[in-house]
Amino acid sequence: MDDEKKLKELRKKIFLIGCKGGMAHLASCYSCLEILYALYVKGVLKLDATNPKWSGRDRFILSKGHAGLALYTVMAEAGLLSWEECASYMQPGGGLGGEPCMRDSVWVEATTGSLGHGLPFAQGMAMALKAEGNPARVFVLLGDGECEEGSVWEAAMTASAFGLERLTVILDCNEIQKMDFVNKTIGEPVWREKWSAFGWQADEVDGHDIAALERCLQEENHTGKPRLVIAHTVKGKGVSIMENNPNWHFKLPSSKKEWKVFREELGISEEEMG
Amino acid sequence: MELAQRDNRVIHILADSGTGYDEMFRRNFPNQIYNFGISEENMVAAAAGMAAEGRIPFVYTAGAFLAYRSLEFIRDDICFQNLNVKVVGMGSGLAWSSLGPTHHTTEDVAMLRAIPGLMILSPATPRQTAECAEAAYRHQGPVYIKIGMNHEKEFYPSDYQMEVGKNEILREGGSISIFVTGSILEEADQAAERLEAEGIRVNLVNAVSVKPFDRANVLEMAARTRMFFTVEEHNVYGGLGSIIAEILAEEGLGVRLRRIGLQDCFAAGYGTHKSVRAENGLDAEGIYRKIKEYMGNE
Repeated sequence: MDDEKKLKELRKKIFLIGCKGGMAHLASCYSCLEILYALYVKGVLKLDATNPKWSGRDRFILSKGHAGLALYTVMAEAGLLSWEECASYMQPGGGLGGEPCMRDSVWVEATTGSLGHGLPFAQGMAMALKAEGNPARVFVLLGDGECEEGSVWEAAMTASAFGLERLTVILDCNEIQKMDFVNKTIGEPVWREKWSAFGWQADEVDGHDIAALERCLQEENHTGKPRLVIAHTVKGKGVSIMENNPNWHFKLPSSKKEWKVFREELGISEEEMG
Repeated sequence: MELAQRDNRVIHILADSGTGYDEMFRRNFPNQIYNFGISEENMVAAAAGMAAEGRIPFVYTAGAFLAYRSLEFIRDDICFQNLNVKVVGMGSGLAWSSLGPTHHTTEDVAMLRAIPGLMILSPATPRQTAECAEAAYRHQGPVYIKIGMNHEKEFYPSDYQMEVGKNEILREGGSISIFVTGSILEEADQAAERLEAEGIRVNLVNAVSVKPFDRANVLEMAARTRMFFTVEEHNVYGGLGSIIAEILAEEGLGVRLRRIGLQDCFAAGYGTHKSVRAENGLDAEGIYRKIKEYMGNE
């Protein structure tokens, strides 16, 4: 199966597992799905599927924890979790939760959900790795709305001061937060200028183009600065009524008409619908 | 520094909160110290990240900035993930006396004790502080240590050893029991001295281990005396007094308890630690008067 088909299949799985669990941040999951796929399935992250705690592994932290279901689904696709585990999402009596949690899976590097924690935490990891000469890279995925948190900028300042060039922030720049568009909330965010001013190497990429993501994320950084990759994405990517629409931040289809769009566009059969 | 010498996983972490001592530390252990600048949340989360990589970070700044400003980071990044970070809050209670309530650490126990998995130690003297650092190092998991500023009176011998989860009885044979935590021990001890001079015998108990707490000791003291006092440089809500009240109520012990501390207020006044304690009724004189007053009312 080619990547495009696989990604469509994964969107379908996210939707079905989310429906079964009763709720999911679908739009957030869909905006960063290709990024996660490039990292875990296309092999940008160096991992040992048999040893989650291999010291040489690249670390990845999903700081925008709302997309936890996308992370778990991609981990299952990469063979790190079983599909059964993945389907335990929000099921009573254990299983996976709505936000990535270390106690739920050995593959989760940091428990997130409250925004603004992932980058400073990842920075600490990158500092420890640097101090021991471990060449592993540390990746953090931030939401653009998340960058309204002050702790992101505290860490942005110190990570550049500490010269953490093996630390990469991927900014899932879908331009929408829960209530509205980001620029309507905080003005034009000018992320590139802001992060550059904080001493980061800033690059940009199409966040839904797998080949471009792979190329960009695999690039070695020798600038002496930590690296920011602004991934331009579409919130809700893959389902027309959800795309670029703030109303879909935390919602499943409710009307018959909405269900029909999801079924048709994600290619879901009557049986799969259950 | 002694711990850093013994174990190179020990990392000293500051938020622009260093002194000459830290400069000395940097000269001796340049690879085991980081200054994050004035960014406490960032420092706490980064320490958690380092602990996830096997380090044993001791983060150090004013207790107020740790317990209040970085509360959620202590909770989510350190405690929820049960990471081996030691959070050291300096200037406990009213020690930053002249700078006012923004710098006072007078609600930290109330906030932090409710976080699962966090050990809380509250040493009273320099030797006890050193013992707490050692105990925190040995404990695999999150610890909060609230320490004074300096020049606290020493009550312990040079071979003193602390045990986590154990209260220490400093005076015995009394008709009332005074429980105290932190450097205000010195004031409580002087108050006890005055009471004893008047013929009122006092049990004085130093509660260094706030969490876990020595429940058995409370039962033991309740078997000996029917009147308890707690003395703390903290709001009476949620601190040592509340802990003892919980135990007394749960055990149905029917002991009279009076909590001496800040009575749900921010501390008044500025000046030396001593004078601010006095202004808030928390010096030896104030503690003595309150105990006498309460005893007179019984």
